Amino acid sequence: MINVNFKERSYWIGKIVPWIIPILILLAWIVFTGDGDISSKIFPKPSKVFDSFVQLAKSGELLDNIVISTERALSGFIVGGGIGFILGFINGLSRKAENLLDSTIQMIRNIPHLALIPLVILWFGIGQEAKLLLIALGVFFPIYLNTFHGIRSIEPQLIEMGKVYGLKGLPLFKEVILPGSLPSILVGIRQSLGIMWLTLIVAETVAADSGIGYMAMNARELMLMDIIVLSIIVYALLGKVSDIIAKILEHRLLRWHPNFKKS
Amino acid sequence: MESKNNGAHLHVDKLQKKFGDAIVLDDIELTIQPGEFIAIVGRSGCGKSTLLRLISGLEEATQGGVYLDENKIKGINLDTRFIFQEARLLPWRKIIDNVRIGAENKDKDIALKALKDVGLDDRANEWPSVLSGGQKQRVSLARALAGNAKLLLLDEPLGALDALTRIEMQQLIGNLWIEKGFTVILVTHDVSEAVALADRVILVEKGKITMDTKITLARPRERNNDFVYFERRILDRVMDKQTSTLPKEEYAI
Repeated sequence: MINVNFKERSYWIGKIVPWIIPILILLAWIVFTGDGDISSKIFPKPSKVFDSFVQLAKSGELLDNIVISTERALSGFIVGGGIGFILGFINGLSRKAENLLDSTIQMIRNIPHLALIPLVILWFGIGQEAKLLLIALGVFFPIYLNTFHGIRSIEPQLIEMGKVYGLKGLPLFKEVILPGSLPSILVGIRQSLGIMWLTLIVAETVAADSGIGYMAMNARELMLMDIIVLSIIVYALLGKVSDIIAKILEHRLLRWHPNFKKS
Repeated sequence: MESKNNGAHLHVDKLQKKFGDAIVLDDIELTIQPGEFIAIVGRSGCGKSTLLRLISGLEEATQGGVYLDENKIKGINLDTRFIFQEARLLPWRKIIDNVRIGAENKDKDIALKALKDVGLDDRANEWPSVLSGGQKQRVSLARALAGNAKLLLLDEPLGALDALTRIEMQQLIGNLWIEKGFTVILVTHDVSEAVALADRVILVEKGKITMDTKITLARPRERNNDFVYFERRILDRVMDKQTSTLPKEEYAI
């Protein structure tokens, strides 16, 4: 009985503990901005940020911008991630393809993709394509590298076993190669989600006519501190949501893995 | 006990295998009757595992060939099943799905029956990672048997198991062999295991077959004097070659 209680208690403690620091930060925010220790020109009160949140939510402006930003992020992720995934597989499976492509890819990888912003703006202006290209480029590398690494780290013994049982081509891919490289691919997805939001924020801040980054830059010109802070919080939440989705994906797809067995 | 005639006939004809310039197997000549249980013994690196891989089609012969029921083996053959030293289960497939890989059309009932044969049908829906080493090897045995193989090749499958589990597995393999009647080639370095299971024990030394002994003990085999006699004879033969290469002074007593 005691054991059960203890388990239950540690379960709840586990649920509560991650919230302690965010709540402390919020309290500090309320305390320090409340009695004028920090001027509202430097940092707005939480209540003001909340007010502008309600206002922007009512007008629909906030949701529109979130949708636009998310669309950009996801389409860039799908394009870049898809190409990275396919190239990772091709190069992982074929030494010839690796020999042909990998050194070029590694060379491009060492260019910070954000350094291409001036070039991309000149080519595409501030339209959708520019952001899509930058995000795709940023997302490509973690997925490529981890897919490649995932395939190369599959035990050759398992592939040999598959061959003894007549598995080749697509069935071999489905039974052995894809599931075997999945843990690594999912690491790549989690890494690239971070890069996806980062690139989006930079791209929207530098050059955009819509989206959350644009909302923040617009507010800067009008000194609307509350909207700037609100944008930052929205970004943080979007990042957190995508991380949660990636985590759920990991737990569902890697149920067989001893590391993910619990819960 | 009479075996059903489900086994394959095997003939190894003047087989040679080179890796680069090194001759690993030379002039191997071997005929195995359907349903026979052969054990190949020898020291590490003598070429016994390579012989098994050549018979399975995982490796190609440099010269000569292997004939399975009169057909020359070219590449993997689905009548032949190979059991490795490690169980090689797919960790991302449930136990039953691992066995289904070996079953015709991935048939679930066949797979379940094969699991029952090795006594693990109650674990069908668990992940392989929860099993012990011996249980994993039993699942891999079920996977190999699900396909009604005519020839079963075992490459030191019990080498990594503890002594008690090994004896249990030997009995299981022996019983399944009697029941199903397939041909078995077991590669092992454990002479007592070879005597406990095989109709014939073959010794491979430096790439050549140097002994071929029929084990004329009744089954089920007990570790009595006759058993020890065979074990002793083969073991002496295995060690003999080694001691004769030592300097002469060692014997001068």
